[in-house]
Amino acid sequence: MQPARSLISAQKIAGYGVAAVTAVLVLYPVFFLLQAALDVGDPQVRPPTAYGFDNFDGILQYPQILLNTLTVSVAATVMALVFGFVMAWILTRTNVPGRHLFEQLMAVPYYLTPLLGALAWSLLGAPESGFINQIWRALGGNGHLIDINTAYGIAWVMALFEGSVAFVMIAAVMKSMDPALEEASQIMGASRLRTMLRITLPLVVPGVLGAAIFVFAEMLGSFAAALVLGTPSRYYVITTAIYQLVQQYPPKIQIAAAMGVSLFAVMFFMLFLYRRIVMAGSYVTITGKAFRPRVADIGALRYVLLGVCLLYLFAAVGLPLITLLYASLQKIAVAFPAAGNWTLENFRVAVTMNAVRSALANSLLLGFGTATIGVVLMGLLAWLIYRSRLPASGLIEYVVMFPQAVPRLVFAFGLMWAWVVFPIPIYGTLWLLLIAYLTVFLPLGVRTIAGVMLQIDKSLEECAQMCGASWGFRVRTVTIPLLVPGLVAAWLLLFIASVRELGASILLMGPHSKVITPSIVESWFGTSSELTAALALIQTLVVAVAMIVLVAVTRRVGAHPVD
Amino acid sequence: MADSKKSNVTRRMLLKAGAAMPFVGIAAPGVLAQAPLKSPTKVHDFMTNADVAKAELEGQLVFYCHENEPGTAGIMEGFRKDFPKINTSYVRAQTGALYNKILSERSAGRFDVDVIQLSDLAPAVDFQKKGGYEQYLSPETGAYKADHLSTPAGSFFWTGVDPAGIAYNSVKVSAADAPKTWQDILNPRWKGSISCKISASGLQFVQWYTLRKLYGAGFWKEFAKQNPHAFDSRVQLFDRLAKGDDMITAIGEYPAYILFKDKGAKVEFVAPTDGLPATPLIVGAVSKAPHPEAAKLFVDWAMSKRGQAWYQTNPNLYYGSVRTDAPPMPTGVRLGDLKLLYPADWDDYAANRDVFAKEWNGMLGL
Amino acid sequence: MEATQALVSPQGPTPHIEVDRLELYYGGVPAVRGVSFKVFPGEQLTLLGPSGCGKTTTLRAIAGLEQPTAGEIRIDGVTVYSSEHRVHIRAEKRGLSMVFQSYAIWPHMTVFENVAYGLRVRRTGAAEVTEKVHHALDMVQMRSFASRRASQLSGGQQQRVALARAFVFSPSVLLFDEPLSNLDAKLRADMRIELRELQHRLGITSVYVTHDLEEALAMSDRIVVMRDGLIEQTGTPDEIYRLPNSAFVADFVGSANLIRGHHRPDLDGGGLIALETSAGHIVYGMAYGRPVGTEPVVSVRTVHLRISTEPPVAAQNVWRVPVEQTVFQGDFTQVHVSWGEQHLVARCAAMEPLAVGRDVYISIEPRHVVILGA
Repeated sequence: MQPARSLISAQKIAGYGVAAVTAVLVLYPVFFLLQAALDVGDPQVRPPTAYGFDNFDGILQYPQILLNTLTVSVAATVMALVFGFVMAWILTRTNVPGRHLFEQLMAVPYYLTPLLGALAWSLLGAPESGFINQIWRALGGNGHLIDINTAYGIAWVMALFEGSVAFVMIAAVMKSMDPALEEASQIMGASRLRTMLRITLPLVVPGVLGAAIFVFAEMLGSFAAALVLGTPSRYYVITTAIYQLVQQYPPKIQIAAAMGVSLFAVMFFMLFLYRRIVMAGSYVTITGKAFRPRVADIGALRYVLLGVCLLYLFAAVGLPLITLLYASLQKIAVAFPAAGNWTLENFRVAVTMNAVRSALANSLLLGFGTATIGVVLMGLLAWLIYRSRLPASGLIEYVVMFPQAVPRLVFAFGLMWAWVVFPIPIYGTLWLLLIAYLTVFLPLGVRTIAGVMLQIDKSLEECAQMCGASWGFRVRTVTIPLLVPGLVAAWLLLFIASVRELGASILLMGPHSKVITPSIVESWFGTSSELTAALALIQTLVVAVAMIVLVAVTRRVGAHPVD
Repeated sequence: MADSKKSNVTRRMLLKAGAAMPFVGIAAPGVLAQAPLKSPTKVHDFMTNADVAKAELEGQLVFYCHENEPGTAGIMEGFRKDFPKINTSYVRAQTGALYNKILSERSAGRFDVDVIQLSDLAPAVDFQKKGGYEQYLSPETGAYKADHLSTPAGSFFWTGVDPAGIAYNSVKVSAADAPKTWQDILNPRWKGSISCKISASGLQFVQWYTLRKLYGAGFWKEFAKQNPHAFDSRVQLFDRLAKGDDMITAIGEYPAYILFKDKGAKVEFVAPTDGLPATPLIVGAVSKAPHPEAAKLFVDWAMSKRGQAWYQTNPNLYYGSVRTDAPPMPTGVRLGDLKLLYPADWDDYAANRDVFAKEWNGMLGL
Repeated sequence: MEATQALVSPQGPTPHIEVDRLELYYGGVPAVRGVSFKVFPGEQLTLLGPSGCGKTTTLRAIAGLEQPTAGEIRIDGVTVYSSEHRVHIRAEKRGLSMVFQSYAIWPHMTVFENVAYGLRVRRTGAAEVTEKVHHALDMVQMRSFASRRASQLSGGQQQRVALARAFVFSPSVLLFDEPLSNLDAKLRADMRIELRELQHRLGITSVYVTHDLEEALAMSDRIVVMRDGLIEQTGTPDEIYRLPNSAFVADFVGSANLIRGHHRPDLDGGGLIALETSAGHIVYGMAYGRPVGTEPVVSVRTVHLRISTEPPVAAQNVWRVPVEQTVFQGDFTQVHVSWGEQHLVARCAAMEPLAVGRDVYISIEPRHVVILGA
């Protein structure tokens, strides 16, 4: 046995290396964003000639936009929480038939992009041409039944999709509640309702509050629904306003940057609150002892609640897909098409458009790249933050969390400025998108892998140590094999996230690096809605097929997907 | 091909003559090297000063264009049909945004663009001043009037004209109620159901400028009260019109009208007697291009009868051609038949860019 | 307070493991507050104590899985940890071996691969690996499970595999972190004996951590009783049991009655010490070389308190008392009696039930009345 001096171990190299890479990825663009926000000189001249806070004053010229953002975000958060809470209650606390299947299905709205929902609901709910309104008028109604191009329309669509996120968080809270607490109340004679109000709800509230803050932060930064549904009626929220300001001629980059920084500050604060309330410091929800919650037998009411579940899934998944299909098969999409209105032309054009084929190919390629590199990078980061004892781990956790607080669009801004001046020509290429995706998905990937990592008993690794295995040996022979199911789940998640990405991609695409989701948006704004519907369906189909193939392959390997 | 052989023979004869005189023998190559390029070659049915073989070796063309996606793809399709060895790729964005993009890229030292097409003369002139265009005189230049070329010629040319009138949904709007003059778009009955384009659009700028000159600054202030919906592309405007989301559009582009009429949409076009605001569609090769020969080849192609025919007949384009020997548009209408409104003073027009942007964005809430 | 080393008979002059003034604080919270002991080659030393006493932390510090705050640890004369000289050798380099409370069986490997791991780390040749693994599995009677997936084993089977894995590469020291606590009572009792046999057969120095008294007494050569991060007493099982030196040890290691009294030197004699309780009872006990003081406390094991319905023969330490309560415990019956101002508890072999309130005679042999250290 030789005495240990401060040898540079493989552990330390990997740790500090990964930390450095992450810091560059995240902080380099943020620096440029801040620089642009504080630039009060001539916008065409770079580096900035003068610094000041005038741009932030400039934001105050747009009070309506701030109000809009708040209205939509609050409304969407409330609706999403209602959906999430109701579904979580039904699926974890009652004996609704098919509970476990539904729990899996609740993830599907997340896989479908909210863009899809926005497109479909636009077809359904536009005041004049929306199918629902056409049906309403055919039934004798006046004017329109719903107008999707309003604040509540946007909030509705956002909530349908974010509802599945709220569901996952609230269900986790419900599952971690000890049923004995409720049983004690019931034994003392309290009715079921009283128990729910006096015992269950207060216990669940902190977790729900945490979910509320998280969802609200996401809503503040959301882009797709507001872009598709808000722009026609000139209803802007901060993210779409930033997008418009950047696209204008002449562009108001500095104000856009200032808006972005302000949004970032608010979201950062919200997420800080979230960590305090829910996770007491750590970024990952540590699943402690898992209880089996008491499932109430509600008799015939089961079928009513089954209907509720089906209704939610229908509204979030089924209806949009059917609507898009319906529209894509018509020359000009109406609710009651004449016989001659049916056509396959939209699909023919969509499939043959070179731009579409290359965009799909790029997206799939990028998905593979992001997922594969991401899993390695984020795996190392998760280990660094939660398992190693290196002193920088707390700081790294904060840096990793940064991108969560920055709306994708705003981050892309910083990325654009940061990498356009980089000596290596990655600007305008797929590499830039890869870097962008890896950066913005850091919180998602690290969180997922860390969750699995923490479930692995530390003693399994310690035992390998006691058998004499060096760090590298035991990571290879014990840690990684045990992590494989979790790594696979993270891989799939990253793949989906990168294919459906919109906010960052829309600003960073170049002539050789088109990707599919922004292409669908461009199609919406530049071609007919029928063609766009066809495109959206093709994208969904391709991604679904890719997912099925991947899941089948990984099942064979022996891994089981982690929920 | 016969022409070039003739020129080669002529040059050879010159060389032989030069070689006879010892001094000229030394000087001759120098003199010949400074001669303006070699003579144009014929490819397909048009003349080009570009080195076709070299262009095909370059194998790539990067095209920045203001057109919507199918339109831009359509232009590229036409070029690729004639030159399959050259791979095309493009970026499309509305003129204002497009111009932003190329300027910021160039200021960061990135020169990735070969050809750019804009729908507004003002940024084109600006780009020319900045030295953004490649000075290239196409052999096809002779087919264009001086008005439709850059000053001096060689920076850019008008590849087409996009005129706009008023269009309306014929189901929702009876012929009696239909607008007939420009003043009719101010009728309060269209409030909340009328569309226009965003401020980044070149055509919208032209319409603003020309109608303002005709009817005074108050015209557009009245229009603002109509709460119009603004969009990026003419296809969007007509899509909404066809479905009845809007009753009328204040900027109904003739090419889009033709396209949607073909599809069977219930839309009608009105050409007010005061004239149709029209914007030139400007194409030019970009300086410091990564594929310079391909860029020049494209310019020649676009200027040629062949290219112009493509621009004029492709359903996603339907531009009106300003080539002096151009045939009528697919509908039988010639550009000359329409009363087109252009800004009389292009410099004053360019100077008003910021005024327009401010007013228009203000109207739209940004 | 630690019993002096004079009571301990070392099995060899040089200690195999030395822990010297070890301290470990988690943040500001103390887990180990200054612990010193030696482990001699071939012996099993058990760290015994209630949860939170610091025994597991101490074990993990020896293993190298925890970073102590102060002190020294030497193994085979080599310093593996020293706060003064800033030495800390990583766990994988200390050449020790450990059996974990949760067994830490790797679910993604077979039983064979689990056991072979330590050999593979040491780059042992394939033939030798096979031979040693089979031999180890034989010793724990798990040979037939060699190709089974480790995740399919029961708790007891996993425990055996963990054991085989721990000694297959012939380590010089084996560390045990409460290895039997997850097994049911019957299995635990059986495994205790097997472990002891194995340890003797292999002759490996062992440090064993448990909170179970029976386990400690059955398996150890020496026991270190810990409480609150400090050592209460070190000694052989017999010493600790018969001669506890503090109230805590007395009550923790088997159940005991504590009696306080005033020293009556005038009644001392014949090697016995006398003390008078506040109720006026005179109790005779033995000092066993400990200082007596003026207010000594004595400990009487519950099993040493005799209960009889007839007056016993002995002259000293006999009292007649009423029965307060009897608790039937199967193998024994616990009888609570009222004695002066306190209660005494006796554990007797099964007897006919005694009525509450009925008078009985209690007697204690003076040699079973032990003076506790200060």
